[in-house]
Amino acid sequence: MPLIEARGLVKDFHRPRRRTGRFAGLRTLVSRERETVRAVDGVSFSIESGELVGYLGPNGAGKSTTIKMLTGILTPTAGEVTVAGVVPWRKRQDNARNIGVVFGQRSQLWWDLPLVESLRLVGKLYRMPRTRYEENLAKFVELLDMRPFLDTPVRQLSLGQRMRGDLAAAMIYEPAVLYLDEPTVGLDVIAKERIRKFVADLSSTSGTTVLLTTHDMDDVEALCERLILIDHGKVLYDGTPAALKDSYAPQRELVVQLASPCEVTVAGARTVESGEGVVRLSFDPAETPAAALISELFGNYPVTDVSLQETDLEDVIKKIYAGRS
Amino acid sequence: MTGVRWQLRAALILLGGAVRGAVQYRADIVFTMIAGALYNGAGFATIWVVLDRFEVIAGWDIGDMALLYGMRLVAHGLWLVPFNQLDWFSDHVREGSFDRYLVRPASPLLQLLTTRIQFSPFGDLISGLVVLGAAMSAVDVDWGPLTVAYLVFALIGGALIEGGIQLALSSIAFRTLKADQVKLTVDSVFNLFGNYPARIFGTAGQLVLSVIPVVFVAYLPASVLLGRVDAAGLPAVVAWLSPLAGVVVATASYLVWRRMLLGYQSSGT
Ligand SMILES: Nc1ncnc2c1ncn2[C@@H]1O[C@H](COP(=O)(O)OP(=O)(O)OP(=O)(O)O)[C@@H](O)[C@H]1O
Ligand SMILES: [Mg+2]
Repeated sequence: MPLIEARGLVKDFHRPRRRTGRFAGLRTLVSRERETVRAVDGVSFSIESGELVGYLGPNGAGKSTTIKMLTGILTPTAGEVTVAGVVPWRKRQDNARNIGVVFGQRSQLWWDLPLVESLRLVGKLYRMPRTRYEENLAKFVELLDMRPFLDTPVRQLSLGQRMRGDLAAAMIYEPAVLYLDEPTVGLDVIAKERIRKFVADLSSTSGTTVLLTTHDMDDVEALCERLILIDHGKVLYDGTPAALKDSYAPQRELVVQLASPCEVTVAGARTVESGEGVVRLSFDPAETPAAALISELFGNYPVTDVSLQETDLEDVIKKIYAGRS
Repeated sequence: MTGVRWQLRAALILLGGAVRGAVQYRADIVFTMIAGALYNGAGFATIWVVLDRFEVIAGWDIGDMALLYGMRLVAHGLWLVPFNQLDWFSDHVREGSFDRYLVRPASPLLQLLTTRIQFSPFGDLISGLVVLGAAMSAVDVDWGPLTVAYLVFALIGGALIEGGIQLALSSIAFRTLKADQVKLTVDSVFNLFGNYPARIFGTAGQLVLSVIPVVFVAYLPASVLLGRVDAAGLPAVVAWLSPLAGVVVATASYLVWRRMLLGYQSSGT
């Protein structure tokens, strides 16, 4: 049985219908009419134990809403969800013992307490045996480099420090599932790297199942072996990043450096850009193998260097978002 | 692992955290307690001035009134000490920070209540106890084990009524995002009308106060203790059983809260 299973998950939000015209404010206030926003619209997926899945989509796609249903924060409007055999919204406290969750936008630590006190309270709430707690604490302090601010009240921590603290608080009791909702938002390059490494480590050594939302494709390239892409609350794609690139951007690019500027025409490739002794060629590897293309170039032109461009996930995603209705 | 014993232990763990958080603001603790006591002292002084003019209100003399006032204040303090965090509840709902209580293995309500320690309710409770203590020696009641036990139940019952009603009203915020005004209004009704013998408000007034049910907090049990059972127009047995009303109200309110919680919408960010 999959560890996380969602079937036809739907979430509607209601808000009072805004009136326009005369006395709009007052009429909005007294009106009982409500507007419904369908944030998640029939999402289904199943995630096996140990998977590290990227949950992607443009702003407002319904990612956070889905995660809130998986954590038990929100009650689904329709559909079914189980996490480690528990229906989250029915058995919140049982579910809480199986999951760790980090919301990049909001800390769950105790604002007035030193970080280490927050971690201690979490350890107690999850009934961790003392020695186990101490072991994990020592390990996380090391991995996340938290020693410099372990005794600082949470309200004085910088964003990057706080995020590391939140990660530690979510994982110190060794839950089977970790939900990360934009854990790298607003962090510098080094801090992002550290968090990626920590998550990769958890996944490989502890077998933690991770569901990650992010707008940073470097997070995804570094971590995810599977992507679920959603938009307008519906799943658009579910599969590996490589297959996504192949289906949405089958073309690859070859950058060719020439000893002297000249016109380049090769069968099976299209010139995208040319000038100053550099030519960018676009080709479909299914039809024209890269090796054949390169040897033809070397045979006919004064080539000094060629480099094959990796398809950028960022570009693929950009293309998908741009093409949506 | 979600049983009552675990919840109590979780409450102690969280309270420990709240105390550690609060000691950072030590001066504030003292001042808020002093302010609470002053505020309630002023309230009783007002009644004293009024009473001094009229001597007796609806057959209740100054000692009887002090008993009523003291019982109401103690009941008020008894619910406010554990439940004061409800004041911030609709902010948590509106800002979505209630989320955190739903992903930890303890009752969300209990986590909310142990978020911070507030000291002004202790001021209410202490001044209530002082008034009640003085009143107990002033009134013509034979304080034996039975009457004292009845008094204790009545105080707890009163606390459960006020607390239960405030909890149920708070939970409206799960749907409407704001319930502060209605809570405040109801609280002032209890404060305004709970401290006087209900008879002075006439038959219609008594009926309304029984339904709300302000008279159950202190007036009915006080009348029983003073040996002049006044059920505010209801059968006398209702007055005798008034401490039980708290259990009924609190249980119903908790069920309402649980039901309303399912409608929590969190926030967009
Ligand atoms: N508490 C709420 N009340 C009303 N509408 C909401 C609420 N939370 C989310 N929504 C709406 O639901 C839709 C999905 O929001 P959600 O937060 O799930 O998007 P997201 O994919 O996480 O976006 P982002 O990348 O911007 O974080 C949006 O249209 C949003 O306005
Ligand atoms: Mg989001």
